[in-house]
Amino acid sequence: MKKLLFLIPTVACANAAVANIPINGVVESKCVIITDTDGVYGNPTADKLSTTAADGGVVPIIRYDIITADAYKAVVTTPNSFSSSPSLDDVVEWTSSTSVGDQSVAEMSAFETNKVVYNNGHTTEFDLTIAGTVWFDVSSVAEYGYGKAFPAGDYTALITAECIAQ
Amino acid sequence: MKKLFLFLFLWTSGQANAHQFTPTYPQLTQSHIEGVYKTEMVLFNNRNDIEYYGLSVFDAEWNPIRFASESKVIPMNYQERKYVNIYIREKDVSSALYICSKSKILKNVKDPSIVASRICSKLK
Repeated sequence: MKKLLFLIPTVACANAAVANIPINGVVESKCVIITDTDGVYGNPTADKLSTTAADGGVVPIIRYDIITADAYKAVVTTPNSFSSSPSLDDVVEWTSSTSVGDQSVAEMSAFETNKVVYNNGHTTEFDLTIAGTVWFDVSSVAEYGYGKAFPAGDYTALITAECIAQ
Repeated sequence: MKKLFLFLFLWTSGQANAHQFTPTYPQLTQSHIEGVYKTEMVLFNNRNDIEYYGLSVFDAEWNPIRFASESKVIPMNYQERKYVNIYIREKDVSSALYICSKSKILKNVKDPSIVASRICSKLK
């Protein structure tokens, strides 16, 4: 009798355990832009501000999460003026580049091969043909006048990272 | 050591500053106003350095198209999701192609290098 009493709840529990509870989720097509690392200008010489590590700067890194292949293109535009700075009375010469850094899929190296650069090297376009995550490294160098020292103060420049649906 | 790496990974991944704007391919439907079409977009702000996003609509040549919404500059708290209705006149429906959201950076932000993010969806 005791065994029977034990068996009944056990069977009841076993029946309850087979109930299926669904969890539904939808991952929709999207492009996510993430500012991974904020850049910092190093000041290796009086007339130069540079984000490269060799110049004491920090390279800004922008991460793109690509959910669906071939749905978006990434467009990164580097600065060609300061958004805020002390008063400058001479010309600033800007050089910059954007390149593929880390990538979640090895084949994403094709982004670098197929990139299109325009706007005097300030704008770089990447076709996001592979789903995954890719990090773009952006370098920006500003040189003032002809070997002229930048005035002391805070300098801010703006990078624009875009995701355009195709 | 493994635990340290795991902790560092979780800590750094929690620092992500992301901007999302969906759907990728919105569709315009007739609104409650005759001659005006609308679509609903979803904006998600995971950037703790951004408090406002601007909306805009463009044609294939990136010329601006007139549109209406609750506000063209949307105040967003960190990790907030907002549903935004975009209204476009019937005569502009055929030329409107891109709906974009762009982060707005306040003038008093003094980070040495700031990233403005813009995501554009394509009307189908």
